[in-house]
Amino acid sequence: MSFKFLKPYFPWITLVMLTIIVGIANPGFFSPAGMIILMADIVPLLIMALGMTFAIYIGGIDLSVQQIANMITVITTVYLAQFGIGVVFIVIGVGALFGILSGYVTTRFYVPSFVSTLAIGFVALSVAKWLSGQRALYMDATLRDNSFGWMFGKTWGIPHELIIAVVLVLLVWFLQTRTSFGRALKAVGSGELAAVASGLNVNRVKILAFCISGIFAAIAGLMFSVKLSGGDAQLANGFLLLAIVAVLVGGTPLTGGVGGVINTVCGTLIVMVIRAAMVYLEVDATQQQMVFGIILIIAITLTIDRSKLRGIVK
Amino acid sequence: MADFMTGGNSPLISTLRNIILKWAPLFVLASLVLLFPIFEWLEDFQRGKDHIYLIDSRFFSIRNASRIAVAATPGLMVAIGVTFIIIMGSIDLSMEGTVSVSAVIFAFVFIALGGTLASWAWLAIPVALVVGGIMGFINGVIHVMFRVPSFMVSLAMGFVGTGFALVLTGGDRIRVEDELFRSLLTVRWLNFPIMCYVALLALLVAWFIQSRTTLGRNFYAVGGGEELAIASGLNVSRVRIMGFTLAGIFFALGALMAVGRIGIAETATGNNFMFISITAVVVGGTALWGGIGGVLNTLVGVLIVNVINNGMVVIGLPNWLQDGVLGVLVITAVVLSTNRKTISFVK
Repeated sequence: MSFKFLKPYFPWITLVMLTIIVGIANPGFFSPAGMIILMADIVPLLIMALGMTFAIYIGGIDLSVQQIANMITVITTVYLAQFGIGVVFIVIGVGALFGILSGYVTTRFYVPSFVSTLAIGFVALSVAKWLSGQRALYMDATLRDNSFGWMFGKTWGIPHELIIAVVLVLLVWFLQTRTSFGRALKAVGSGELAAVASGLNVNRVKILAFCISGIFAAIAGLMFSVKLSGGDAQLANGFLLLAIVAVLVGGTPLTGGVGGVINTVCGTLIVMVIRAAMVYLEVDATQQQMVFGIILIIAITLTIDRSKLRGIVK
Repeated sequence: MADFMTGGNSPLISTLRNIILKWAPLFVLASLVLLFPIFEWLEDFQRGKDHIYLIDSRFFSIRNASRIAVAATPGLMVAIGVTFIIIMGSIDLSMEGTVSVSAVIFAFVFIALGGTLASWAWLAIPVALVVGGIMGFINGVIHVMFRVPSFMVSLAMGFVGTGFALVLTGGDRIRVEDELFRSLLTVRWLNFPIMCYVALLALLVAWFIQSRTTLGRNFYAVGGGEELAIASGLNVSRVRIMGFTLAGIFFALGALMAVGRIGIAETATGNNFMFISITAVVVGGTALWGGIGGVLNTLVGVLIVNVINNGMVVIGLPNWLQDGVLGVLVITAVVLSTNRKTISFVK
């Protein structure tokens, strides 16, 4: 087995090694029950990161996901009483709308996605603040359980969040590898000019990518809202950078065209292990962020596949 | 180059185009400055009060200009730092961490050495700048040596920086109450606090580095076409590392201004610098793909963002609406101030 053959699997090797290291230091980490709880906890981040993968895969970035999730927590809480489970359609619709808006501004107005998505995120924040009256809102417990109780139950010991996650991962994996849209994404990410030259409607592909990112951010927001039984314009804060980190550590570089949603699953698991490790290894609370950063640098340095970065590293 | 880009137009029209595009960010800034007083005028007009446009404006006054300048100063320093990196076509997201670490170490050293600028405590200022430089240097070295994209390195370094600041302070706030140091804010020359003049001086230094030194020209060479720069014998790795170090020093300068403005150093000192500074750079007309723009563009960009923020408060826009309006205006400003003829595609 040559070294080159192993390259695509570097993120997985990193994940396994990290897990083993933490497990040796504290065997309690290997308990299946604990693992399942850890994984169920990370599901909203995974969903957000899955959406982000599409934006990064085409060589862009989506900085609006956190604000979209914030806005969705408020929308869910406000409209749950009125629409019940139908609120899911509003959630997906609003997420798609904001994603399309980001994509439209990026492709038609030539605003770099770094700025356009940030700005659209600000608009989402405004909507969240307006709708919530800048207060933290709470859901009615029975209403919540009637409509979304199924989200957090357990079947044969498997939390339903994990099942939702697996379904969504399969869905985006199918989208990425088995549809012409997925191949168009790869074409745009690998070389936009070539994609344009071969007659691909690049703008439409890009807008769709941002749209998916928006939808997934919205689903993540819905989960936050149901989980914490409320909505707030700041509920999802802190998840944006983690979602980006999960995508990058998984091996989807910012240049686009390489990696994909399965990599993001791996990246999210790496983030999970690093964070859990600090709890299991009893790292002092004030030191956790610094340790997280240092491990992150090491993990990224070990993981990224430089042969796919096409010459110059920017 | 420009003629080639604009295609079949006559030379006169294309020159005119280029002049307009070159000054577009400034036009945007000027129209914003003239826009907000209109709202004030309208409001007073509806109430039947006497109001002469601009003359009676609370927004268009020296007092408010100085308020905007003070608010803009720390962000300007940070944005200048990241401008050098963006000119090279890279990006630096470590500013929040670097600002926090520099601010906290500055405060600790300052207090340990006597707590007033009149003593040896002035040494805390160069120490803070060195700390910022070291953070940037580490960024650059990892980026170049291990061939890791700057986005990832600097993002992770940002975590390390914020985390390190948290370890140092344990979550506490450190007050810097020396009157001499606080005179950055409290003493005014011609209505503007001293910190504005310090920032102006730093801007001049940055402009000098950018346009009058080999290093500055090398930034543009790297950003304009790295293969070409390598082929012509430039040590690109060294230029990159020096760029990141320089950026770190400017981030530290931003930290000093932030501490001077609020009088407190803490882990949260660096919060919110990342997105706003990069937005300001882009709004000013510096392209994220490198080679175009400069620190003067960044000055205009920072002023645009701060004028929008201040103007919305002065005309009494509801709090919840301000973020959204900022977003829409930022998009508008970028649309108006980017030269779209030179863009082949946007990421």
